[in-house]
Amino acid sequence: MDAAAPRPKENQGEPLPRVDARLKVTGQAHYPADLPAANIAYGALATSSIARGKVTKLRLDDARAVPGLLDIVTYGDMDKVDKPKFGNSGATSIGPLHDRTIFHDGQIIALAVAETFEAAEEAAQLIRAEYEEDRPTASFDSPGTKTVAAAGKSPMFKEDVKAGDFDAAFAAAAVKIDQRYSTPTQHHNPIELFSTTAYWQGDQLVVHEPSQNVTGWKVELARQLKMDPANVRIVSPFIGGAFGSKGPMTPRTAIVAVAAKRLGRPVRCVTSRMQAFGTQTYRAETRHRIRIGAGKDGRITAFAHEGWEVTSRPDLYVVGGTSATGRMYGYGSVLTHVSLVQADRNTPGYMRSPPETPYVYALENAMDEMAVALGMDPVEFRRINEPKTEPIGKKPFSSRSLIQCYDQAAEAFGWARRDPKIGAMRDGDWLIGMGCATAIYPTAVAPCAARVRLTVDGDVRLQCGSHEIGTGVRTVAGQMASERLGVAIDKISVEMGDSSLPPAPVSGGSISTASVCSAVLKACDAIRTKLFAAATAEGGPLAGSHNEEFELADGKIVAKSGASTKVEDVLKAMQVGAIEEYAEFAPKGATPEALKKLYAGTPEFHGGEQDEDSVKYAFGAEFVEVRINRYTKEIRVPRIVGAFAAGRIMNTRTARSQLMGGMIWGIGQALHEATEVDRRYARYVNRDLQDYLVPVNADIKDLQVILVPEIDHAVNPAGVKGLGELGNVGTAAAVASAVYHATGKRIRDLPIRIEQLLA
Amino acid sequence: MSKPSASHVAALNRRNFMTGTVSAAAAVPLLGSQAKTQEVTQSGARLREPVVTTLRINKQRHELSLDPRTSLLDALRDHAGLTGTKKGCDHGQCGACTVLVDGKRVLSCLSFAVMNDGKDVTTIEGLASSDGKLHPMQQAFIDHDAFQCGYCTPGQIMSAIGCVNEGHAESENDIREYMSGNICRCAAYPNIVAAVLQARGETRGA
Repeated sequence: MDAAAPRPKENQGEPLPRVDARLKVTGQAHYPADLPAANIAYGALATSSIARGKVTKLRLDDARAVPGLLDIVTYGDMDKVDKPKFGNSGATSIGPLHDRTIFHDGQIIALAVAETFEAAEEAAQLIRAEYEEDRPTASFDSPGTKTVAAAGKSPMFKEDVKAGDFDAAFAAAAVKIDQRYSTPTQHHNPIELFSTTAYWQGDQLVVHEPSQNVTGWKVELARQLKMDPANVRIVSPFIGGAFGSKGPMTPRTAIVAVAAKRLGRPVRCVTSRMQAFGTQTYRAETRHRIRIGAGKDGRITAFAHEGWEVTSRPDLYVVGGTSATGRMYGYGSVLTHVSLVQADRNTPGYMRSPPETPYVYALENAMDEMAVALGMDPVEFRRINEPKTEPIGKKPFSSRSLIQCYDQAAEAFGWARRDPKIGAMRDGDWLIGMGCATAIYPTAVAPCAARVRLTVDGDVRLQCGSHEIGTGVRTVAGQMASERLGVAIDKISVEMGDSSLPPAPVSGGSISTASVCSAVLKACDAIRTKLFAAATAEGGPLAGSHNEEFELADGKIVAKSGASTKVEDVLKAMQVGAIEEYAEFAPKGATPEALKKLYAGTPEFHGGEQDEDSVKYAFGAEFVEVRINRYTKEIRVPRIVGAFAAGRIMNTRTARSQLMGGMIWGIGQALHEATEVDRRYARYVNRDLQDYLVPVNADIKDLQVILVPEIDHAVNPAGVKGLGELGNVGTAAAVASAVYHATGKRIRDLPIRIEQLLA
Repeated sequence: MSKPSASHVAALNRRNFMTGTVSAAAAVPLLGSQAKTQEVTQSGARLREPVVTTLRINKQRHELSLDPRTSLLDALRDHAGLTGTKKGCDHGQCGACTVLVDGKRVLSCLSFAVMNDGKDVTTIEGLASSDGKLHPMQQAFIDHDAFQCGYCTPGQIMSAIGCVNEGHAESENDIREYMSGNICRCAAYPNIVAAVLQARGETRGA
């Protein structure tokens, strides 16, 4: 069996190939900017060259003189449209064309629309702005930033978690560390460019745009355009990478919709890679102070995590990963605090494992430092601090297989062969280092609707307004229907990525598989109930049997006794051509408004730390080997092993691929990714894929993913924990620990680059 | 005025040409010959006049009337209607737009369509045979789950075929190195290497 299709273990589904694989290898998977629209006009953005101030004058004459130019949408043209709102469906409250105030570099100042892409680009570049410029504030330590506490200020952040008396415990601890860590600005950089295509059919607006949240966008765009949401449709059948960047809608969408209305023609605007850095969201830079105190036996008695995060002037976006780090181990006492630092920057947003990536990096790097301070093996140190209940609310974990993950990954990695002495392991001119870290991600679930139709021909049509961002959600939703209805996967068609379908929550927070599969399960079970009732009715083929004694397999209803009947015959006896069920799934603990909120595009999340009965997380353990050239300090990661437990695995192939991608993201966080900010101008410098470094094929060698079996019925009806974001949590700390092991240098500021090792 | 044919501008380099068009009066583009420079810069208007360009795409002849600034990528997507080839950066940095021109892999965003007048272009849509049988590289990408979102995939597959035919798929390290111009942000890299290994034998003859 090849590595891409791991043999399923207990509670793990078959590694079926993706249902859309053929479309993707033949160029027939149509992403939003591929969808045809007749008589299309092309839009190109003009953006600000200052980060703070006012646009005093726009000179448009040169742009208007470009042959083929059709229109320029700029100040004054959006006055009849409401400003964007900051929230789950909206990236920012900045309405760039509502107001001449400039809040950040690269802010939209106009949209040029022309007959051709070339003419639109030419015109956009000829738009000249005059500014009243103020000195901008770029980031931490810049004069003029404003620092506020996240808790109480931002509705996104509930509280600074705490437990016990940290100060006393830390003062009394026999062994302690007090260190600071930082992570840089990062941009998602999905390979698909951001784009909006809008056209009107009478009073109906259709928007083709890559989206992780078609229902939320429909509602938010309708609000901005003062329309009935029923008249707005967002179409996003395939998404070319998202990683959070396509979760909230940006102001461009409404601008392009207005342009299409003015022209009476479809308008397509594909944002350039460079412009995306300022017009989309990003992961803001963070800073951390961590204090850990422990007894000589290695038991942690005191843990404090303080975080600082950059956000924009108008919007208090919060990462706030202390909720997870404060519950990670059996600390005796916990103290946390999150602060927001406001600067002249575009509003940050969700990027793959938004809170956990920076916060767990800091925690796990500190855990390794603490293990060194204690003279303990880092795996043993974590084993000693494995909790029975989480330290904040003293709730049990619904399931926690962290130690199994450590044991299996350590075994596969060969951790026992590690010589703990610094710099002791070498291969010629290469210093070898080995490190490990914990991965954690909260398991959440949200309400979701799905429509499933089983026809007399044995075909299944499954509709759900979720989003295929590469996770394989189409495939696993189809697998769930296949299993419950006893129909082969190739007889199932799965429709997603359209706001006219039954609503699904935003594809974020690793909730999609759990939420979608729970809804599909509910719809399929309603079909089963109808089928079984008809089959067992008086005069039916299985009359006298009870419903719970049946299974569906290969197009048949099979009773425990062995008696069976064809589904086709039951449907015929019912005198129907199909059974169709529309299911609305609401998780345990959902409020009475939960389904209404789903349709309104503001779904409730449940699980994680919020439930009364238990806290719900997926866990993993990652081990990396680094090799560092003793002369050049070049850093390579030739080997990485991750073991993860995430409840029921729907499909071992797509699960492994997601975790693998996450681990490689983690290597990128450790060694490559950083958006450089020019502090004088509050401007991103490396705004392209040549200078914004991401891992390439040559950066990755031996990578192993272990799927640790785990059963958890408490998380949701499907028993699924999300894993799309789990894989890149902790990885960077494992790399930092390995670098320390090889060199004795503790790098606390990401990314780890050659210059830090030469210093 | 007659429309210029592609041969007039075929020697242009796209980046220099773009510089020239944006500030045509100030900058003299670096061109193949001084005479051509004169011809282009003396009449800015002609820069935008459509040029009839003939491309043989997937063995079919396409005669396209194009703004001479049109990249091969945009010609394929917006004019020939073949959207399988993807735009990821428009700067030759990501590889998503890779196609084969006369059998060699080319970044279609870094090549003007007019520079490819009369040439053979193979895109992802041209790989499977007419009976629907996939090219061995396409099948290998499915077998090894060598993609997630699928956006970089057409470029990866075209690049992989080019890589094999260049003789750069002899070892796993070679494949990693010579496939590193194609970024996969979902990071399916180990699976891509496995796919190229599986398909390289059959691809050589294909």
